[in-house]
Amino acid sequence: MSGAVLGIESTAHTAAAGIVSPDGEILADRKAIFTPEAGSGIHPREAANHHAVALPGLVREALADAGLRPSELALVVYARGPGLGPCLRTGATAARALAHAHGLPLLGVNHCVAHLEIGLLEGASDPVLLYLSGGNTQVIGYAHGRYRVFGETLDIGIGNMLDKFGREAGLEFPGGPKLEALAEGPELESLPYSVKGMDMAFSGLLTAALRKLADGMPLPRLAYAIQETAFAMACEVAERALAHTGKTELVLGGGVACNARLREMAATMADARDVACFAPSKALCVDNGVMIAWLGHVMHSGGYETGPADDRVDQRFRTDMAEVTWR
Amino acid sequence: MALAQPGPLEHRGAEAVVTAVEWHGRPAVVKHRNRRSYRHPDLETRLVVERLRAEARLLERAAEAGLPVPALYAVDPAAATLVMARLPGETLERALRAPDGARWLPQLGELLARIHAAGIVHGDPTTSNFIAADGEPGANAGLAVIDFGLGAASDDDEQRATDLRVMLESLEAHHPELTAREPLLAAYGAWDGAAGVLERLAALEQRGRYNLVRG
Repeated sequence: MSGAVLGIESTAHTAAAGIVSPDGEILADRKAIFTPEAGSGIHPREAANHHAVALPGLVREALADAGLRPSELALVVYARGPGLGPCLRTGATAARALAHAHGLPLLGVNHCVAHLEIGLLEGASDPVLLYLSGGNTQVIGYAHGRYRVFGETLDIGIGNMLDKFGREAGLEFPGGPKLEALAEGPELESLPYSVKGMDMAFSGLLTAALRKLADGMPLPRLAYAIQETAFAMACEVAERALAHTGKTELVLGGGVACNARLREMAATMADARDVACFAPSKALCVDNGVMIAWLGHVMHSGGYETGPADDRVDQRFRTDMAEVTWR
Repeated sequence: MALAQPGPLEHRGAEAVVTAVEWHGRPAVVKHRNRRSYRHPDLETRLVVERLRAEARLLERAAEAGLPVPALYAVDPAAATLVMARLPGETLERALRAPDGARWLPQLGELLARIHAAGIVHGDPTTSNFIAADGEPGANAGLAVIDFGLGAASDDDEQRATDLRVMLESLEAHHPELTAREPLLAAYGAWDGAAGVLERLAALEQRGRYNLVRG
């Protein structure tokens, strides 16, 4: 088996190694997630230490899953941003070590674009991506030679909002899945709904929800209202991007896109617009090494030239910074 | 509603369906906010009524301030419908694609400043929400602004800066070849209330679009 590509992901909580074949077959998908102590958020240094310990084993396991020796790989890829600096550097170092030890080409790629490109493996060809995770909340699409951010959060990420509320409500990290399990309707408590053009904001919603929590409102009812309101905002922004661009495919990505209610809402919205909705498996929605490997493969085989700038982490690597030459 | 026969579909947006009609002999459009089945029905009802009322109010406020907006003919919250004058011209989105499309940019910056000076934030100032009409100055020539459905009456520089951000993003996404930022902001900056807004814009871009990583 030759031509397989290994991808390393370490932008935030998740350290991961994934391997794909050139035709998109997933040969390995290994992950280890850093979980902060109850009641506290992620500390970049602690997460990076976790990743530094976890990555060598993850790479070894991934190679074993794929039945490959390192020298049989065609390319090593890592996510060079956006993300937390110490975490990014840990992943870059692991990728460099592997590539240099075995004389393999090395490529650093954009984490957000990887979430989009993995959706193409699901059958989409020119989608709008609704990317909802802890730190990233974006609506992305391809236009005029680049991936463009059509809309995004103006303050906090949707996942951060869920996690922060969960933390205040005494739930363990990550709060999102716990809130999903608790949510109980159909009675809808009114919370701020903030869509500005193609952008959205979640801090007003968080503040109002925390106030209601302090006032003694039952958690299941609040969890329901938060989901209904925040997810509708995200779907509306995605819908506006679809209307604006005329694109006919929607791809979901990011940890929050694992939420069943979000998936249901997105599918309903897409259906009403005659848009095809692609929801990758949960394993590929959350941060993973497979999508990093796949984007690296697509770029590399599309003739993307690896320059010195590609082997450097960039905490604020914007989705629209790199010219897309591989499409 | 005393509508004549509905005419051709003008536009199916994310929010509403706009249909060309005759309104007592005048060219008009009916804007119908369609319900979103993905949203909770209570939330949907709240948003439809909020946005319809806001849009009608802002259209009147804008008209009073002498801004180029379509005249409002009728409002029906129960049917989620507005009837407005149909403006001549084409969307700015399309007009900007003409060889000399960039000539609209200073006018656009100036119009955004006039909207803000009138105490209005548009909420969705994309290139699809401006109508460009060629012809003799005066009459109906020049730029007009439509769709105040996400707007608000506000003097808040933060919200004004968000308007600018939405506009810039729309221009950069759809017309990257124009390098629209400089001419747009230069024209906007000629307004004596612009300085505070442009400061907020810089701050917004720091913490929003250009700062994707937050702990």
